[in-house]
Parts: sequence; structure tokens; C-alpha cells
Amino acid sequence: MRSSRTFRHGGIRIEAGLDWERRGPVQNAFLPNGAVILLKQHAGPQARCVVRRGEYVREGMVIGRADGPLSANVHSSIPGVVRDIRVAALPEGGHAEAVVVALEGSFDRLGRKGERYLWESMGRTEILTTLKDRGVVDTEAPGMPLFDLLGDRREVGLLVVNAVESEPYLRAETSLLEDKGAEVMEGLAILRDVLSPKRTVIAANRPLAPAWPGSSEEGTVEYVFLEARYPQDMPRQLLEAIDESRKRPESDAIILRPSTAFAVYEAIVLAKPMVERYVSVGGGAIKRPAVLKARIGTPIGDLIEECGGFRGPPARLVLRGTLRGESVHDLDTPITKITSAVIALDSNEIGSLSKTPCIRCGRCSEVCPECLDPDLLFRLIEHGLRGRAMELGLDECTVCGSCGYICPSRVPLVSAFSSEKAIAALSPPPIDAPARGESNR
Amino acid sequence: MRRAKALSMGDAPFIFNKRTSASLIWGTAAVLLPSLAWGIYCFGASAAMPVAASISGALAGEAVASGLRRRFTLWDGSAFLTGLLVGMAMPAGIPLFIPAIASVFAVSVVKGAFGGLGSNWMNPALAGIVFAFLNWPGEMSAWTMPHRLAGLAGVSGATPLGFARSHAGVAFAGSDPAAILGAGGMRFSGFDASVTEALNRLFFAPLGAELPNGYIDLLVGNKSGSLGELSAVLILAGSIVLISRKMIRWEIPASIVSTFAVLTWAFGGLPLGKGFFDGDVLFSVLGGSFLIVSFFMAPDPVTSPSSRAGMLVYGIGIGALAFLLRYFGSSAEGIAFAVVIMNCAVPMIAKLDVVAFRRRAFKSAGTTY
Repeated sequence: MRSSRTFRHGGIRIEAGLDWERRGPVQNAFLPNGAVILLKQHAGPQARCVVRRGEYVREGMVIGRADGPLSANVHSSIPGVVRDIRVAALPEGGHAEAVVVALEGSFDRLGRKGERYLWESMGRTEILTTLKDRGVVDTEAPGMPLFDLLGDRREVGLLVVNAVESEPYLRAETSLLEDKGAEVMEGLAILRDVLSPKRTVIAANRPLAPAWPGSSEEGTVEYVFLEARYPQDMPRQLLEAIDESRKRPESDAIILRPSTAFAVYEAIVLAKPMVERYVSVGGGAIKRPAVLKARIGTPIGDLIEECGGFRGPPARLVLRGTLRGESVHDLDTPITKITSAVIALDSNEIGSLSKTPCIRCGRCSEVCPECLDPDLLFRLIEHGLRGRAMELGLDECTVCGSCGYICPSRVPLVSAFSSEKAIAALSPPPIDAPARGESNR
Repeated sequence: MRRAKALSMGDAPFIFNKRTSASLIWGTAAVLLPSLAWGIYCFGASAAMPVAASISGALAGEAVASGLRRRFTLWDGSAFLTGLLVGMAMPAGIPLFIPAIASVFAVSVVKGAFGGLGSNWMNPALAGIVFAFLNWPGEMSAWTMPHRLAGLAGVSGATPLGFARSHAGVAFAGSDPAAILGAGGMRFSGFDASVTEALNRLFFAPLGAELPNGYIDLLVGNKSGSLGELSAVLILAGSIVLISRKMIRWEIPASIVSTFAVLTWAFGGLPLGKGFFDGDVLFSVLGGSFLIVSFFMAPDPVTSPSSRAGMLVYGIGIGALAFLLRYFGSSAEGIAFAVVIMNCAVPMIAKLDVVAFRRRAFKSAGTTY
């Protein structure tokens, strides 16, 4: 075990909400009366709907079939009747079809303790296609299907199980690691079988109990304890902290969340499709923050109610994280395969939102983990000089949100960067509007 | 559809550091209050008048400018701080129209005309002070002795700095500034005499050194001068607050003070007819508005570089210019001019900085930057 390490440049320290007392093991959330199962919970195009309105679906039955590369199968998380198939808004923006299933009938498959499948005899291809069938995606946004993510990767240099949670109120990954250590380790063993990594590391920001099941495997799997400084959980910062030599290219590493390893375990060993996930429910406006094991498609409002409801009027509802997540206003927004957290912030936590002029204090470039100058980039974007901004490193911006967090003037830096990057990803390099002299600072 | 009421939407991040620009500016103003209070205690309640006039001028100027820009900006504190700093640089008995006009100039011309807070390229408060110095040099040098020291209100007297300067080289060549003050008839307080005596007895005598009279007065602020420059102790205490609470970056004042101190030590003895490496660092640093300008005005984020390398270049430039102007310029108060000159150089420093210190950015940027 090594002492806590971290990345070098920039970063922010957020004290509030990083740690809260967890009471007992993670509970199963109540089953939703109606599950809204989005057919796009993954990076690629939405799955093709294969059920009809009024049809009875069993638990774990395919309701959406993967449609092209980066698409993934979607399964019904509860048994019931398809009440509706409609277009719904995605939390991360855009729209996709959703299948609304009304709970009915009995749990004929997943409720029972199944046979443990002996995967050791499975071949690499067999494992990958099984993962594809069961709709297993990386649980970190944007939800890359594992079949596509791992398909052409053999003998990677480094496999990291990333349990670092450096954003406030996130607790799902650590809880999973603590409660389901043996299962996560078995999922990891399957992943190691597929990837044959030279080195395997579990990175966490909380120390694991000595009795943790994986502790016996020391030697094949390393444990690294990292500071919870934000954005420690992002790929470059993670690799920098793990890899002292800093010579490994990012492309030689595969980083997965414990929940992904757990989903692999369930898919291969228990033959269970990806229909559940751990969700942290927290934030200043939540009465009893908790980590719940929820069915995909459960409305976030149900989970909040199960955590005692709101303590006071919430000022903002956030999915996935307060620095990189999305805000939603609809309590019927369903949990997807990548919804790691539901956070309700009170107005005190949000603080002042009023924008004031930039006072050029330089805090943004101080905290930028990619050594960029957000102030300069923002000014360039404001003047329509996206090409120059790209040259000065805008394409290296990971939209981690550190600059936006620290800015005392609340300059909308992060929205500007993310939209510029989105535009740049779609279009060829722009021709800059004629520069207004060379004097743009 | 269930909706929670009055939810704010928008893009990440959704939480912020508690510090806002307004809280930084109001906080800086609050840190100045002890100095102001000490000034009013020393000079009497009437000394508050120039400050009041200056703040009113600044707020009026900001109100007009914010009206023109159709954006209410009075609460960001920047005009108040400018007014406070201008007022605290004025002699206690100055005609009230001077601080008022200097503040209006600072806020509306230097700041407002360039687009308001964040867009000005020169520190408004310093520009206002320099404006007053250039327009009313006589009034701006009519210092009064503090009540408690002179025993009489309204007795005029030069600042220790100006006094030493005007008497140096004439009759007292080769002596220390403090000796010049003493010989020239500058008065010290009883407090200074007793503390100096005690310090000499306890600390310096065993070391074979002796502290001349006058330094303790300089330190605590028993001297003539503006409200702001009066007490070095209170300004330094304020600077500790500013730096420890990260309201300013330490690099700027540190580089100013160290550059200035080294140059004074090396060459500061020359105008007094002494040799190299014999300057009176303590006297130079404690005297005049050097400290308040170094800690409260030079690090103004708007008009100073934002990278560490840039800050050091900026600070060293100010320290060197302040030394040159104080010892070889026309006025004893060189530091204000030094900062204003370096303010003008900030865009250039920022540009060089992109080239020289951000290699990563430079590599991909080609040769245009």
C-alpha cells in the first residue's frame, strides 16, 4: 500500500460534501411502478425498439437491439406491460425513444439465485459477445459499449479500476468496492482475461478495509490511494498519479469504474443483463443521503423520496456530478446505465450565480489541470477566434469544470469551452474572422 | 410530469467557490479600515473629511458611468475601494474638492471610459492619486503633523521622507536619514524615545548596535503623512490578511519589496554621500506610501499580470522604478508613478509570458505569439 499520491498541475480542493457517513450496506431501491427505459443509454445511436405497445415483457428481456457500432442492447429492468413507447428528453441533451414498462407479473429470472457460470473456459470472443448481448457499457459517460471499447484491445499496458470519486456527494463506486469486493475482483479477473494487461491497478481515494476480498491477490493487482483533489478521477490526472514515469501514452491504458467491473461480473458469471446500478443520492437538499441499488428506468424522484425527500426547497437537480454532470428539472427523469448520482443542491450550496466582469485574477489558469489559460481562451472565443483558441490548447481542455468552479466573477468559461469543442468536433477547422490587431492580450 | 419548483438550469459546474469578485473587493476595503481608524485617531475627526469626499466622488462617478452603461455596478465595491484608497493618500487638511475630483477622474475616466471594472489597464486609485499630485503639487505636499505628536492641530510639517530628502546632502552629508531628521529638528514622540531606549538596552546594546530614534514612530505611525501611509504596522498586518486569505498573490509585493530593499541597500547611501551597500533599507521601506501601494494597489488583479512569471517581472520592475524615482526623481513619492508605469507594461508582459513561459501553448501556436 502506498501513501496518497496525486497529479501535479492545477486542480481544486472541494471540502463540502466529499464525505458523509454511510449507514450499513447498500440497500436495494424499491421497484418502480413504471420504469422509463431509454433506448439510448450509451455512446452510439439509439437501440432499435423490438417490443410493441401492450406487449408483456419479462425482466431482463431485450427491448432494444443494438443498432450499429457503439450502440448497445437495452433490456427491460422489470417485468410488466409496455404501456407506451415515446420520445423522451435525454439528460445530457437531445432526445431518444423510451419504453415505459408498467410493473406487472412476477420475477421469474433475476429474483432467484442463479447458477454460477464457470467463465474460465470461455474464450475472449465469447466473453466479448456475451457482454454485447447483455448490454454492458462503461458506466462512465458517454457509456461506451464494452464490446467496442475492448474489442480490438489486447495486451494493454495498464488496466485501472478507477474508484476515485473527487466530486462532492459521489459515493457509488466506493460503496460498490466496499460491499461487493469479491464480485468486483471477479469482474476484474474476467477483464484481465480479455485484456491481458501488463499491470493492473485499483485506484481509490478512501482506504479499503484490511479484510477486503481483493487484498489477498496482492501481486497481480496493485492498490493505489490517491488524494481526493479534483479532478483526480479524470484519465490524464489518474494516469499521472499512478504512473511515476509518466511515459505511458494514454492510449496504452484502459480505465474502468468498479461498477463496470461489477456489471461484467453479473453479465458473465450470473448471466444477468445490465438492468441495475448503484446510484449515490445526495446533496444539501436531500434529507438522508444514501447509495441505492436502483433498476434502470427508475425515476429519480422515486429515489429522492426513498432518501426521505427534500430537506428544503432544492435549488438545482444534478445528475452524475456537480462539476461534470447535467442539470435536470424533471423528477421523472429515469436512471440510465451511466447515472452514477442524483444530487439535489440547496441554494446555499450554489451560492451567488450573478456574473460580474472578469477581474483577471488568474485563478482559472492556476487551477487548470491541463495548464491552459482559460481566461485567454474565453476572450479568443468571444472575439470569434476559435482557430487561435484551438492552437492555444482549447482542444486539450477536458471540460473538467475547475476554472468555472473557482472563478470569482462566475464567467461562463465551461459552457463556452464545451460548446466550442462540440462545434469544432462537427466542423472542419474554422477560418478565423480577421483578427482585431494582435492586441487580444 | 413531476417538477420541482423554481429549479435553476444550466451547464456544469453547479457548485462554486464561495469567493466572488465583490467579496474580494469589499474584503480588501475592510482590511484597510484599521489604518483609516488609526489615521482618524491621530489627526482628529476632521481627517475623515477628505476620505468621505473621495468616496462620495468615486460613488458618484460610478453611478454616472453605470447609468451610461445601463448596468448597475455600485455594489461590486470597486468604486468604494478606489475612493477609499484615493482618500487615504491625501494629506489630512487638503481642500475637499481635490480628493473628490481625483476620485471622479479615477472612476469615470481611468476605469469607466475603458469599459468599467476589469477593462481598465491602469489602477484607478493610483491614477487618481497621480492626477492629484500633478495638478495640485502644493496642496498634495502640505502635510500636517498628527495631533498627538505636535500637540497642536494644523501644525504643518514635512513627511519624514520629504524632510530627509530636502535636508540631505546640504548640511548633513554622510549621516543616516534618522540622524538628519533629529538634527533637522524633526520631533519624535515620547513613545518612540522610550521604546527605542528599551530596545537598545535589551537587544541592541548586547549586540554592539544602536537603534536611532525615529524608527518606532515610523513603524507605528506617529509621523506626518497621509492617512494610509501612517502606520506601517497596520498596513503589514493587513497584508498578512490579504496574503493568507489569498486575496492577493504574494509574488507581487514580495518582488517589489525585495527589489526595492536590495537596490536601496546597495545604492541608497550614495545620495547621502555614503558608499555602496550602506543604504537605510528600513527607513526607505517604512517611509512614505511604499507599503500601502505595494500591498493594496500594485497587486490589483485587473492591472497586474496573472501568471507567476509575469508577476515577478512586474514586481521587479516596480521595485526598480520606485527606487530610481525616489532617489533621483523630482518627488519623494516614486512608488505611485512606478506602479502606473508598470501597469502600462502589463499587456506586453502578458504577451511575452505566453511566448516564453507557456511552452506548451507556444509550441502549437507557431510564431504569432
